[in-house]
Amino acid sequence: MNYPSLGQIAMAAGMMLFMLGLWGIITRKNILRIIISFTLLDAGINIVLVSIGFLRNRTAPIVDQALPATQTLEKAVDPVPQALVLTAIVIGLGITALMLAYALQLYRKTGSLDINKFNSLKW
Amino acid sequence: MVNPIYIVVALLGSAFLSGLSKQHSSAAASWLAYGALLFSVVVSATWLGAFIFNGIPAAEIFTAGVNPPFSINLRMGLEEAFLTLAINLAGMAGLSYLSRDFSIWGQKATTIFLVLIMSVNVVVMTRDLFNLFVFSEVGSIAMVGLIFTRRDTDGYSAGFKYLIAVSVISALLLLGIGFVYYNTGSLNVDTILSQSSLVNGSLAVALFLVLISLVLELKVFPVNGWALDVYQTVNPGIGSVISGVVGTGSLYVLYKMLPLGGALWYEIVLIVGLVTFVGSNFVAISQKNVNRLLGYSSVAQAGLLMVALGAAPLVGQHFLLIAGGVFLSQFLAKSGLFWLAGMINSADTAGWAVLRQKPVLLVLFGFFVLALAGFPPFPSFFGKWQLVIDLAHNGQFAVIAALLIGSLFEAVYLFRWLGEAIKLPVAEGLTLQTPLSRLWPVLLFGILLPVGGYLFSRLTPGFDGFLMVSVAFALALMLLDYLPAWIKNSLTIAGLLLYASLVYPLIEGDLIRVVFAVIFVGGGLLTLIAGYSVKGKRMGFFPFAILMYAGLIGLIEAQNLLQFLFAWELMTLGSYILIIRGKKSMLHALNYMLFSLGGAYMIMMGISLSVFGTQGLDLALMGTSYWPVWSVALLALGFLTKTAALGLHIWLPGAHAEAESDVSPMVSGILLKAGAFGLVLLFLAIGGEANSQQPLLYALGWLGALTALGGNLMAAFQEDAKKLLAYSSVANLGYILFAFAFMTHIGWIAGFTYSINHFLFKTLLFLAIGGVVLRTGTHNMYEMGGLIKRVPWSFITVLIGIITLAGIPPLSGFSGKWLFYHAVIAKGWYFQGTMVFFAGTIAFLYCFKLIYSIFLGQEKDHLRKVKEVPVWYIVPQVLLVLAIMVFSYRPDLILVPLGHTLAAANYFPTDPITWNGLTASTTAGYWNASQIMMVIGVMFVILLGWLLFMSRKAQKVKQFNIVFAAERPFRPETTHYSYNMFRHYHRAVGFLVAPVATRFWNGVDAVMHDVAHSAKKIYSGNGQTYIVHLLAYVVIIYLLMF
Amino acid sequence: MEIVTKLGFVLLGLVIILNWGLIMAGIIRKIIARASMRRGISITQPYINLFKNYSIRSQITHGVMFYLGPVFRLSGGVGIFLFMPLIFGSENWSNFSFAGDLVLIVYFMFFGMLGMALGAGEGGHPYSAIGISRGLAQFTAIELPLTLAIISIAIQYKTLSITEIVAAQQGGIQNWTLVTNPLATLAAMISFLGAMGHAPFNVVMAPQENPIGPPTEYHGTFLGVLQTNRAILHVIEAVLWMNLFFGGATNWIELILKSFFIYFWSVFVGMVFPRFRVDQSISWLLKLPTLIGILAIVIFLL
Repeated sequence: MNYPSLGQIAMAAGMMLFMLGLWGIITRKNILRIIISFTLLDAGINIVLVSIGFLRNRTAPIVDQALPATQTLEKAVDPVPQALVLTAIVIGLGITALMLAYALQLYRKTGSLDINKFNSLKW
Repeated sequence: MVNPIYIVVALLGSAFLSGLSKQHSSAAASWLAYGALLFSVVVSATWLGAFIFNGIPAAEIFTAGVNPPFSINLRMGLEEAFLTLAINLAGMAGLSYLSRDFSIWGQKATTIFLVLIMSVNVVVMTRDLFNLFVFSEVGSIAMVGLIFTRRDTDGYSAGFKYLIAVSVISALLLLGIGFVYYNTGSLNVDTILSQSSLVNGSLAVALFLVLISLVLELKVFPVNGWALDVYQTVNPGIGSVISGVVGTGSLYVLYKMLPLGGALWYEIVLIVGLVTFVGSNFVAISQKNVNRLLGYSSVAQAGLLMVALGAAPLVGQHFLLIAGGVFLSQFLAKSGLFWLAGMINSADTAGWAVLRQKPVLLVLFGFFVLALAGFPPFPSFFGKWQLVIDLAHNGQFAVIAALLIGSLFEAVYLFRWLGEAIKLPVAEGLTLQTPLSRLWPVLLFGILLPVGGYLFSRLTPGFDGFLMVSVAFALALMLLDYLPAWIKNSLTIAGLLLYASLVYPLIEGDLIRVVFAVIFVGGGLLTLIAGYSVKGKRMGFFPFAILMYAGLIGLIEAQNLLQFLFAWELMTLGSYILIIRGKKSMLHALNYMLFSLGGAYMIMMGISLSVFGTQGLDLALMGTSYWPVWSVALLALGFLTKTAALGLHIWLPGAHAEAESDVSPMVSGILLKAGAFGLVLLFLAIGGEANSQQPLLYALGWLGALTALGGNLMAAFQEDAKKLLAYSSVANLGYILFAFAFMTHIGWIAGFTYSINHFLFKTLLFLAIGGVVLRTGTHNMYEMGGLIKRVPWSFITVLIGIITLAGIPPLSGFSGKWLFYHAVIAKGWYFQGTMVFFAGTIAFLYCFKLIYSIFLGQEKDHLRKVKEVPVWYIVPQVLLVLAIMVFSYRPDLILVPLGHTLAAANYFPTDPITWNGLTASTTAGYWNASQIMMVIGVMFVILLGWLLFMSRKAQKVKQFNIVFAAERPFRPETTHYSYNMFRHYHRAVGFLVAPVATRFWNGVDAVMHDVAHSAKKIYSGNGQTYIVHLLAYVVIIYLLMF
Repeated sequence: MEIVTKLGFVLLGLVIILNWGLIMAGIIRKIIARASMRRGISITQPYINLFKNYSIRSQITHGVMFYLGPVFRLSGGVGIFLFMPLIFGSENWSNFSFAGDLVLIVYFMFFGMLGMALGAGEGGHPYSAIGISRGLAQFTAIELPLTLAIISIAIQYKTLSITEIVAAQQGGIQNWTLVTNPLATLAAMISFLGAMGHAPFNVVMAPQENPIGPPTEYHGTFLGVLQTNRAILHVIEAVLWMNLFFGGATNWIELILKSFFIYFWSVFVGMVFPRFRVDQSISWLLKLPTLIGILAIVIFLL
């Protein structure tokens, strides 16, 4: 019997989180909950990305005393997804901040956070 | 060559600096921003110049000192240079346009704006997937930041919906990028492309995620509610950035990435694009809100470009011409329209009438609309043409049909909008906001459109730059529009003559073309002479008159199908503007335009069927395809919309009747012959006498006969003199169709005789009646009467005109009737022929009504001071009467050489007419026009002299010196028998003129609007629904693919 | 010289036709009177009317077109005469028929109608215009069976030349179109009723009631011209039908007899039937007579 590897578990978890976030975005009515769902979705993707670069029994791709530059190919996990994730987190943060700004302004203008109430623009 | 990385540096640097600057140094900061954008423009432009003129290869720009795939690289090629130039130019213009708003919103806005422009530059140039993701996210954030500047609930909710949707899409993109990396170990586009042979299940899914999110970024129909809400709510200056800048970036990314997906993805993009183009244009039909309308239109145009992308493998080396032409038009026109919307600040399209306060802007608005609709001389015409032709060569007729239908939907709202701007009254309280900072971007983009058109025309295979001369002439006349009318009129006449003299050597030997050229040029001269009677400036008339005539002459001159269509559209465009100048012409002109475009698209479809399986564009290809019946039928129907055959005629009466007095003869006597000329070319192309289309021609013959009958009957029941003449034109074009459908020698001689006659008498009648209308101020015949004493010249010319119209010997109308009889007998189309002759007798009814109600009967009190019509109207009429007399007395002068031409082996070698001196005879009969004219002339003079002698003492009496019903009348109104003159006839045969066609087309119109209105309801305004749409779309496409 | 001879014969023919027209009108009116149990007028009455009208002293005019109307009208009548071959086989009595065929004559009929309509129009009398509008409307329907009949005989004889149509009917009554193509003849004879303006198609002129119709305002010389024309027109149109359907004429006696009987057909029908309203007559003409005309063509297509 083959147990799933840590990478596979991480990927599955990330995907679940992604789906959960998506589910939240299309079902929750409160804008704040939608934003939270988005952060879940974002986190899910990040976990998936990390799991893509994961290699068993290896260390973080940081070149220091523990990991000399000459041994990176053997001892470190793939650094590219990690770099991607770092950037994606920053971007996710930016977007979340913007969303919150919008939520704040919507609440100030209307006193409501129900997404169903903001459909005066249509057709 | 400056490294394009400095574009990024400059933009980013100036963004930081302007972000850091204090409020008091904002002027310096904005100059810095302009400087950075100008720098970027110059860099892109120098690259573009180097690619075009020096032919250097695309440059790869490496970063971080490491070669790809271990670093991010940018590419600067022809496409990138062109697009970054466009983006940076739009950035500069957009910044200027928005500068007033930015000064309110603060320095932050400039910063965000620069970041946005920078990010799109990178998105265009980068060859790295993740870099692409990052900068498109940066762009999105900047975009949403700009949306945030509209500080109200609508703005916030639209921005939030946009943000959520974009986030979900980019989440899919990121996921896809991750898996692409997982499968290929690279993020470099070129490296992945080199491994594309390895595409397996999981890589295919990864690529699916990447490509579908790129497609969704393009706001495809119908999953684009989030974008439409934003278009509707944002400042139009920002709307232009979304449409022009961001949209451009997204499109180019798809273009870059599409090779990853392989052949299947090209098909997907083609279909998605088609659905978007047709669907978005369709729902836009019932949209009145300008900004949202612009949104629909932007989406549709993106769809069109996606079609071009998807068709890239089919069109081969023409791809840049096609995509470039369509892109350039849409980019310039859409930006311009958004900017205009910002200056007008009216939510409703009706508010655009305010544009008339600045005619320059109205003209530019026209440019933008025409460019979107794909009219020449704008680049999209050439792009669309080449797209259709290449699709046709590949047999993609369904795609072509969908494209043409979508284009027609597009025309519905575009031309309704243009018409409203030209005709509707200016709404109260609206004023144009036209500071220079907003004006110059619109001017620049407007001017670039025809320039781009010229460049693209040079690239299009089969196009002759000579045709552009007339367009340039029209543009020059537009610039001279402040001159008095008589100068411009003289210039127009000179231009017409010059053009005709240049064209004449090309067609000298071809009598068929010469006859039509004489009609077009001669008619042009005569009607323009009448134009001298107009005082003042008459702005916006002459450029379009020359366009129409140039188009007509261009039809004659055209060497191939492209040139023919080009000329056809120019003519349509010019005549549309001429028609819409009439006081109540808004709807009529719209009808005219839609029917004309419908016709043009049918012609286009017919052409595409014709060119399948060949590489040429020769005019003789028309109708000679693998599906001859379809292509001939489509081409013929296309031409018949111009000749207003029964069922397609409903645009004509209003358009011709409401036009200005000297425009009516232009569009009725002359313009309609364009359709006849098209039919002539088509029928000759399918082999003349030896054609194999007899069943279709038989149907067309019946259609012609029914048109003749219907047109004349409807004319007989009109009260409006010009409508009466217009319906009479419908009927006469029916005769002409009937004659040409014979496809026999004598039938064609009859057709040409009819064409010449109709030109002569209808131009004459419209000029005469138009002149009278000028003097009396009404079209209604029952409001006139007894004008013979006031306008005797007009009476005489109308008398000559109706005698010719009715075909009464000895005038030339009879030659047509005689030829008709013999053609009918020879062909054996007895019943259709009888119907045509019956229609001919009905013509007497309206001839009498016309001349009696206006000139005879009882003179009305308010018309007693009417003066003779302007001499400029009389002069062309006298010339036309002379022409009629010459043609009546010596028809052989034209008909004999024409007979020789038509007897050519591939036309109609069986020539049944023999000319013995001046006597024409067939096996069935004979006719000598000169003798008839002499006999009748001598007899008439003798009898007149005798009667004058016998009644020499007759006493002239006053108007009311009559007695009826034992009462002496005292009011002309009670005694002038005119209104509803043929009531008894209507009672007998009125059921034949039930407005079936009008009801049918009204029904079509209503159904279209209703369905479009219902279809729009999917845009519920709920942000979550939009996300569900997105996800469902992804799932559907996925299921379709796998 | 040749042209002088030609003109001489043409003028002589015109005089004969005019006089025969006037005499025939007198005879017909006598017959009508007798059939109505009246004594009736003298058969010279048309001559008397004509002389009286030409010599009336007080005359008025409404304008130039008022003059031109009768001239057009008479030109129409004389013109049809001029283009009509009268006697078969005689070069001298063929007038100017070399200038055009049947189509010319059919269309030249409109010349007089239109001119008359305009002249009457200038009189300003509404009853003139009413009559004209009725006349034109009814005429469209009258023309339809005639056109079908003409096409039918054009198919039959493969020609539209009147001389050749007459030539084809020579050699006895069995060769007349009446016998060889009875349907076309029937359709054309119904049209003839309309063309002659007797009941049931005479609402255009409405002679018994208030004066209505084109000549309402005409009097004196003008009316004389119109009466001259009517005399010529009735005979020459009968001659046309004679040429097309009844074998033509080889001498003047034959022409006079045949034209009388052809004309009498319209009088006979007019005596028996009441008058149609215009819309009724149009509806009627567009039904049965048109159907007969269509059948006359269909039998040649079978």
